[in-house]
Amino acid sequence: MKLFIRSGLMSLLTLLFLSTNSYGQTTVSGTVTGDQGEALIGVSILIQGTGSGTVTDAEGEYTITAQESDVLVFSYTGYGTVTRTVGTNSVIDVELQAGAQLDEVVVTALGISRERKALGYAVEELNSEEIVQSRQNNLVNALQGQVAGVQVSSAGGGPGQASRIIIRGINSLDPDANNEPLFVIDGIPVSNETLTVGGGGSRNVSNRIADINPQDIETMTVLKGGPATALYGLRAANGAIIITTKSGKSGRVSVDVTSTYGTEEVNKFPETQKTYTQGFAGNYDPNSFWPSWGPSVEEARAFAAENGLPRPNDLFNNFENAYTQGDQWRNTVSVSGGNEKATFRTSLSRLTHDGVLPFSTYDNTSFRINANYQASEKFSFGGGVNYIRSGGNRVNADRFNERLVYWAPQADVNNYIREDGSMIGYRNDGTVGNNPVYGEATNKFIDDVDRYIGNLTFSYSPLPQLRINYTLGLDQYSDFRNNYGQGSVYAGAPNFEDNLSNGNGFVVETSIRRRDVTSNINAIYTSDLTPDLNLRFLGGFDAFDSSYDGVTTIGNDLDIYNLFSLNNAADIRTSAALVNRRLLGLYGELSLAYQNAVYLSVTGRNDWSSTLPQANRSFFYPSVSLGVLLGEVLELPELISFAKLRASYAGIGKDTDPYRTNIVYRNATGFPINNVTGWTRDDQQGAPDLKPERTNTLEFGADLRFLNNRLGIDFTYYNAKSIDQIIPVPVSNATGFSTFVLNAGSMRNSGVELALRGTPISTADLTWNVNLNYTSNKNEVLTIFEGVEDILIGSSFGYAGSSASIRLIRGEPYGNIYGRSYARYDPSGDNEDNLFIDYSQPLLIGDDGFPVIETEQKILGNTQPKWFGALTNNINYKGIGVSFQFDTRQGVQKYNQQGNFFAAFGTAPYTLNRNETIVFEGVTADGSPNTKPVWLGQGEGPDGENYGAGYYRNRYRGSTENFVEDADWFRLRNVSLSYQLPAALLETVFIRTAGITLTGNNLWLETPYSGFDPEGNRGNGNGDDGFGGFTYPSVRSIFVTLNLGF
Amino acid sequence: MKQTILHYLLSACVVVLMTACGADYLDINDNPNVATRPPLDGLLASASYNTAQNQFRVSNGHAAYYVQYLASPNEGNTTDTYLEISNGIAWGELYDVMTDLDDLIRFGQEDGLGRHVAIAKVLMAINLGLVVDNWGNAPFSDAFSGETLRPTYDSAEDLYATIFRLLNEATSELAAAADAPDVRSGSDFVYDGDLELWTRAAASLRARYLNHLSETSQYDPSAVLAAVDAGFTGPEQDAAVTSFTVRNPWAQVADNNANLLLGGWLSEQFIDALNGTTYGTEDPRLPLLTNRNDDGEFVGTPNGAGRQGDGTKTLESYLVLDGAFSMESSPLNIITYAELKFIEAEAALAAGNQERANEAFAEGVRTSMSQIGVDDQSATDYIAAEYGSDDVTRDDIFREKYVAIFLSPETWVDARRYDYAYADFELAENAALNTFPVRIQYPNTETDRNAANVPVVTMTDPIFWDQ
Repeated sequence: MKLFIRSGLMSLLTLLFLSTNSYGQTTVSGTVTGDQGEALIGVSILIQGTGSGTVTDAEGEYTITAQESDVLVFSYTGYGTVTRTVGTNSVIDVELQAGAQLDEVVVTALGISRERKALGYAVEELNSEEIVQSRQNNLVNALQGQVAGVQVSSAGGGPGQASRIIIRGINSLDPDANNEPLFVIDGIPVSNETLTVGGGGSRNVSNRIADINPQDIETMTVLKGGPATALYGLRAANGAIIITTKSGKSGRVSVDVTSTYGTEEVNKFPETQKTYTQGFAGNYDPNSFWPSWGPSVEEARAFAAENGLPRPNDLFNNFENAYTQGDQWRNTVSVSGGNEKATFRTSLSRLTHDGVLPFSTYDNTSFRINANYQASEKFSFGGGVNYIRSGGNRVNADRFNERLVYWAPQADVNNYIREDGSMIGYRNDGTVGNNPVYGEATNKFIDDVDRYIGNLTFSYSPLPQLRINYTLGLDQYSDFRNNYGQGSVYAGAPNFEDNLSNGNGFVVETSIRRRDVTSNINAIYTSDLTPDLNLRFLGGFDAFDSSYDGVTTIGNDLDIYNLFSLNNAADIRTSAALVNRRLLGLYGELSLAYQNAVYLSVTGRNDWSSTLPQANRSFFYPSVSLGVLLGEVLELPELISFAKLRASYAGIGKDTDPYRTNIVYRNATGFPINNVTGWTRDDQQGAPDLKPERTNTLEFGADLRFLNNRLGIDFTYYNAKSIDQIIPVPVSNATGFSTFVLNAGSMRNSGVELALRGTPISTADLTWNVNLNYTSNKNEVLTIFEGVEDILIGSSFGYAGSSASIRLIRGEPYGNIYGRSYARYDPSGDNEDNLFIDYSQPLLIGDDGFPVIETEQKILGNTQPKWFGALTNNINYKGIGVSFQFDTRQGVQKYNQQGNFFAAFGTAPYTLNRNETIVFEGVTADGSPNTKPVWLGQGEGPDGENYGAGYYRNRYRGSTENFVEDADWFRLRNVSLSYQLPAALLETVFIRTAGITLTGNNLWLETPYSGFDPEGNRGNGNGDDGFGGFTYPSVRSIFVTLNLGF
Repeated sequence: MKQTILHYLLSACVVVLMTACGADYLDINDNPNVATRPPLDGLLASASYNTAQNQFRVSNGHAAYYVQYLASPNEGNTTDTYLEISNGIAWGELYDVMTDLDDLIRFGQEDGLGRHVAIAKVLMAINLGLVVDNWGNAPFSDAFSGETLRPTYDSAEDLYATIFRLLNEATSELAAAADAPDVRSGSDFVYDGDLELWTRAAASLRARYLNHLSETSQYDPSAVLAAVDAGFTGPEQDAAVTSFTVRNPWAQVADNNANLLLGGWLSEQFIDALNGTTYGTEDPRLPLLTNRNDDGEFVGTPNGAGRQGDGTKTLESYLVLDGAFSMESSPLNIITYAELKFIEAEAALAAGNQERANEAFAEGVRTSMSQIGVDDQSATDYIAAEYGSDDVTRDDIFREKYVAIFLSPETWVDARRYDYAYADFELAENAALNTFPVRIQYPNTETDRNAANVPVVTMTDPIFWDQ
């Protein structure tokens, strides 16, 4: 790598040196920008009255030879025309106003700005206001509901918690595959991984994009499919998010201060029963393990009075009481400015966030500087550095919520600690029973990330038509994770179970260093072949080098109970991992534009990946895209103001994870023992003959606008088929392995994206914009290696065999949830092998009078929504802005693990009928209607029968079907009210701008799901999607933002 | 213009340079965290340690429930009531260990490590024995290579022949291995490289597997006795592992149970056999194995019936951290001198040598007593009360062996050879079968991934030696 950088730099230095020479010709040059300050490419510049002219290049710059007093005409489709007279100044910069709504310039692959109309594929872009609209600290969450085809899910509302973004469906059959898009900031691919090492999985640490301050972002472009990302190569096979940070503008120095305060609370709690108290089989017992299988509180009080026991308490609503109000502050100061040669922007930001779950915190301090320098007409360079420190105490929401179910409601969970520091439990006078709040107080996981993202860009234009760009990027971070559990305050003191799992207290320290280096050089050549035909050629080369180094040290059994140092641990174990990956890519793109009406682009890229065997590590793939502006080719009815058709195809190749090409031996689990290391053959057999995966995408679209652009429809259909997927195929253990890595499957995603934009009102004082987007994705697993029945993506525990799992089988879509169900009457046995329940049949009732459990796993739902969409309104009236966004997800199911526990522990409201005798509706094995009355309670029923642990524990909780719930929702995602002080008011003071914004998120939610907000998943992996319950609950939040400009 | 051309050339050079050195640049796909050729002492360490752990995995997974050492606290528990189970965890671990042993034998032969190879063959025989005795036919001759995706199955009879072949080869190779490089100290978790003890263990195992054939026409009691003669000569020679990552796995079960992750509940069958209910005399070993309940009694849980109370009181007896087999550092046995004495007694009886049977039986009981911590007087009193000076019977041998090798997966082989004829031994409550199970199912990993080869069986199809 070093060699590359050096040779790259050398050549650039040479270029720099050479650029000081000039051609000695008198020319006029300048930059053409849009009204957002973005460079416009391909703007036509004609000398009035002559036939000569030119177009702007990729940087929006042009050079033209002209006489003094010549008139230059600048024109660009969708923008107004501007004329300028050539004077003594050789630099003429022009700003063009967008004439027609939506006719904008967008950032495409490699950060190249292009007219949207010239693209043969769908691209969507968010501007800085849309990005900060919802005041989300995690940049990924800012995309929620904003873009068709993009699905954002999170592991709940914890501070700094990871979110997951999937574009156009899951692409891979491999349970461990990364299905998220590539993130690129200012030309540098950056890490968005969520590392679970050191216990980070159960703690929901941040995805790394959460490090970035949303207020530093100018635009965020979503490249959804193969044709849009083909130039980026394999790392963007799942799409790409191209982020451009704010940079300084020439002119006076401006200072902007933004200060946001937010407060939040849990937006939805599960319902619980509030009648029955501690005990079992209806018998009161303050020492019982069982929180709610006792009698009613009144009965318990009578019993206690008779037996000289303390008076039982009213029931606390611990599920709500255990959570608090969260709050956060984010302050950002930015300074920007510059002159015609140099611009800069710098910002400093600090976020402190305390979450709703006790002790959950997250802090983020970010410093960024961007600078650009125009050294000469031909040479410019610039760069940016972002330093981030982030992290906090990541709570274990799963354990917290699980312990809340065990906790008896007659004890106050917030009364958790004694004066001596020991735990207060819920039974045996507080000496026993894990207190979840005490758990979070004494069992912590704190991450501390130091991250540097830097980019250097050089741009040299030896000829008017040619520009050479070089970008060098670094994304490096260290992540220090410290997980510890407090030992017992004194020997035998009540303590939280997890603190004692491997001795008396523990410390786990993990240190990670990740470093990604990117080097990218390319050249763009533009030329008018004929007045009607423009040509643009781009060629380039990039190199990517990624290294990971992680060490985890576990120290068990603390000597001093609250000294959380490895030096204080009796039993110490260490494990280490190094991972390296390198990629090289050579790419080119040829674009032709005919009469500003027909646009054709052809790209080709060859990748070399270190992760594939030598013979197969080089692979080439092409893409073609075509855009036709119908208005330029034929006469459109007056109603239609713009019409464009798009078609594209791409075949992207993809490599695999490092180290999957041979057979290896690793340290055996549980070793070292007595200073002896053990070795064992690794369970995974790598393949020396792997070949790259391919994703072939076909995309068609139309962009239609009506009524003077007041109404626009953008429609896209895509069909992406991924073949030769590299999967660890499960094999018989007798092979000596449990998986073989093979090219072993294919799957397809096809779908429709629809965006509707309208401007119902547009007057000088009042504008009202409406955006509606809709996405429907259909997935099918086409093939899986012969002999493999299914691929397990993940599973979630349920009592009495009711664990739910997500598995893939041929011919079925991704994300099916399997589990046990109530058996249906099936006398012919026709439905025995059917994977779906025949809901038309009555329940089968056993001889005991209770529903029979079907132990063959059936498909009970699917974790991927059938469709989702959002409706956004923006209304502006004289400086007052109101916007609100509704979004929905439909046709999606989720396994509610909390619901399963609620059934097992008598917490759910429906268990109030526990003392009733009923007849289950259904038929017995012989087909006759069931008539046997049964008691739902525990122990001996009124009929003298012994019902053991009762219906809910014996039967109900054992049917997964009862806990796979519809997780559809409608929600008011965001409401924002802003007021900007009129400039006239500020004329006399030193303040340039002043504004205030009120924002509300998740103010309203409508869902049939019985647990916390179903948007929250168990975690951020493929196997977490669709499992919820004991998640960090989502929040409803309100923000006040003040911004001042000086 | 010259400069322009130079520019082009320079940029082209950059690209060519990068591509040219690409080949070396990309050769970084050898995993730096692992080895392509393992240290053979390390393979032995893992395999010897896990061979003992596999005894636990088979037992705690199903065998201890079928022989009613243990019972589930949950009513109608799958394992308790003979519903289809496969113990895929144990199957997977057994094949993991056998894979490592296969590598150890292969690499050891290449490197001339005779000691390692011979020990590996004994360990291979032990693990393969567990596979055959629990599942029957299984992949072996086509296994471990990674060359086939779906290994074929060998018959159980052929696998028994393989077990005896491995033990014979090991015995002769152990005798010839004196000059081979030593086993690194501490890497052999059973005997720390002691070839003499391994030779005795090989003979003891030979006796065990020959004795398994008691119900077949191949049974030859004199061959069993000949193997016994070459086997262990005292309890200090027991094949067992005594060092653990954290603690003995049975101690972990006891510890978990104390922390409400329930398990290790003793069956009513086992408790009643020792507390005087079944045989009239309280066995002095019982208080050293488990706890008394809150009423001061030893109470077992009937298999299939589940817990008696609501879990708030100690109503039953469990594996506990001060029980002889479930202490933090209790030995995790593979085969013991006491077991060998009961094998000897059984074979001697079959060979018509009553006197040898009597002696071996008494030695077996006394060894068990002293290993568990019963004083000599109590042991003597117990033997006098229960057996007096009577000649030992086959029933006596199975009764005492059941207690002496408590928690061993070997007891399930005994139970099947003995047709579950232990006194008062009954089907579990809510049993799904009307006879006792005589094998378990193949795991999903086989039925899903190797469907073409895996035999279709039921849990009532006997293994070949069970007739």
